[in-house]
Amino acid sequence: MIEITDLSKIYEMGKVTVDALKNVTLSIRKGEFVGIMGASGSGKSTLLHMIGLLDTPTSGKILIGGVDVSTLTEQQKSRFRLKRLGYVFQDYALMPELTVEENVYLTSMVRGTSEKEYIAQTKEILTRVGLIHRSNALQSELSGGQQQRVSIARAVVNRPEILFADEPCANLDTESSKNVLDLFRQINHELHQTIVMVSHEEWHMEYFDRVIILRDGRVISDGPPVLRERSGIPVS
Amino acid sequence: MSLQHLKVSFFLAVRGLLRGSRGSLYLSILIIAMVFTNMIFMSSIIMGAIKNSERSIIEYQTGNILVEPKDNEQYIEDVSSLLDKLNRIPGVIRASAHYSMGATLKNEGNRVGGTVTAVRPDDERMVTGTWKKMKEGEYLSDGETGEVIIGIQTSGHKDKNEDMGATLGYVRTGDPVTIEFTNGVTKEYRVKGIFETRSYQADMEVFVTWNEMESVLGHPIEDSTGLIIKTTPDLPEAQVKQTILRFGVQEKVKTWQDLLEEAFGRAIQSFSIINSVTVIVSLVIAIVVLFIVIMIKTLNSRRQIGVLKALGVEKSIIINNYLFQVLLLTTAGTILGIGIVEGMVGLLTLYPIKFPDGDVTPYVTTMDLVTNTILLFIAAAIAGYIPAWRVASEDIMTAMRA
Repeated sequence: MIEITDLSKIYEMGKVTVDALKNVTLSIRKGEFVGIMGASGSGKSTLLHMIGLLDTPTSGKILIGGVDVSTLTEQQKSRFRLKRLGYVFQDYALMPELTVEENVYLTSMVRGTSEKEYIAQTKEILTRVGLIHRSNALQSELSGGQQQRVSIARAVVNRPEILFADEPCANLDTESSKNVLDLFRQINHELHQTIVMVSHEEWHMEYFDRVIILRDGRVISDGPPVLRERSGIPVS
Repeated sequence: MSLQHLKVSFFLAVRGLLRGSRGSLYLSILIIAMVFTNMIFMSSIIMGAIKNSERSIIEYQTGNILVEPKDNEQYIEDVSSLLDKLNRIPGVIRASAHYSMGATLKNEGNRVGGTVTAVRPDDERMVTGTWKKMKEGEYLSDGETGEVIIGIQTSGHKDKNEDMGATLGYVRTGDPVTIEFTNGVTKEYRVKGIFETRSYQADMEVFVTWNEMESVLGHPIEDSTGLIIKTTPDLPEAQVKQTILRFGVQEKVKTWQDLLEEAFGRAIQSFSIINSVTVIVSLVIAIVVLFIVIMIKTLNSRRQIGVLKALGVEKSIIINNYLFQVLLLTTAGTILGIGIVEGMVGLLTLYPIKFPDGDVTPYVTTMDLVTNTILLFIAAAIAGYIPAWRVASEDIMTAMRA
């Protein structure tokens, strides 16, 4: 599903260069729930942004579903993101002028889905995330946990091939975080949704099928979470 | 850009306006309305003043067409034959002959130099509207002698502050006035009436009958210093002028437009320049205001724009969202602006602005409204597009970190 080969990212800040990613090579299979973990500055968010086509690598190759995404133009990348990828951000990133349901069906509108179809899809996904009763609420009327659930509903409403989540629980309390992670796992199991999630919370590992740990831009560990706990490699 | 994408842009624009800051929304609409009013109002007053001058000249001075003596000649000869010919020409309602002579008018120590014009009152009534503007007394009648009618700027006002030049010191109907003609004849006349057209030039004139002027000259008058012609409203004056020339009239024939061009050509050009400057300044204000409004909106929404792009919403949809917002603001502002303009036109029609050449009311045509609306929309589109394009062109991560 995702094939990454020799991926590097160098940021140039004036005369200083920072190697955010160094020759990362890995692959992610369809239906996996993968956690990318590591300490702050380890390159985990950078890796997510590269795979999610939100940023451009300095070198290396990314194949998603057989497509070499480094050859795509900006417009093609935009369409690729719209049709094949979904995103959940740390700060929810909802449109404040749109209601819950409008936020959810916005990308469906852009895709050209019929109104009848996207309304039905939206109702279904809002029911699944437990927010159907807040369909007409604005972002300002929702709690942090509710906002993140709307963000997840928006990300999965079009059934993307891969769902990317960048520290989705960073702004949530433990209870809300558990709810969100349960939701991810439920979506992963029921819809066979591939999920790539960045986290620095060690206890999140129990939800992942697989954990990739980065340090200084390199993959230092890649395997099931149970092995990770036994190995004693720090994840954050 | 598909219709579906435009629909999404419009959807985002409407939600952005309706659920954004109400204060900013109303203020933006008000500013656009004021800009629109500014674009229309100043030019409407200038156009009103020009139209007022045109009306005054046609109605009280030259008629629609003026016939003057040939170059190097002082008089039009055989005026009776010429009048007969002119009155038969299609498009001519009536021609009226004038005979003007320089004179000094005196009353109780007041002296005013000017021109006394002889008219045939029955003809004159069909060409000019002076007879309808008698402030007091009556208009002249054919054949009468020893009587004169005087414009209020020559007779003088009761309140001297209203006089705009030398006057006879508030002469009233029935008062005696002495006129010294340049041919040496001096006669005393009874004032039959005072007229007030509210056109300064027209209100300086003094009229006597053709018969009276013949008595001053001491012989029948077969010459004229000029003829004025009233034309039918269904034919343009230029067309009637061509017909007059085709009928073999050798004298100088001028439409009121020709005269206005001669007399006020530069003034009208200056008015047009002032007009254009006003419109350009207003448009620049509109562009700057809308630019700032949209720039603030887009800068405040940089992260959201980044998120939209991350979700796969194309740049054109984001730009068109702001373009629609500015066009909707402009639509609302223009509607309010039209309301304000119409209100001001209504008010100033009831209470006109006092100008030396008469009461001026704003002159606004549908074409003015349409033209200025189009100009404002073009300005708004430019002002909305540039900031939206700038912010939407940022890369996703830069925008999302904002």
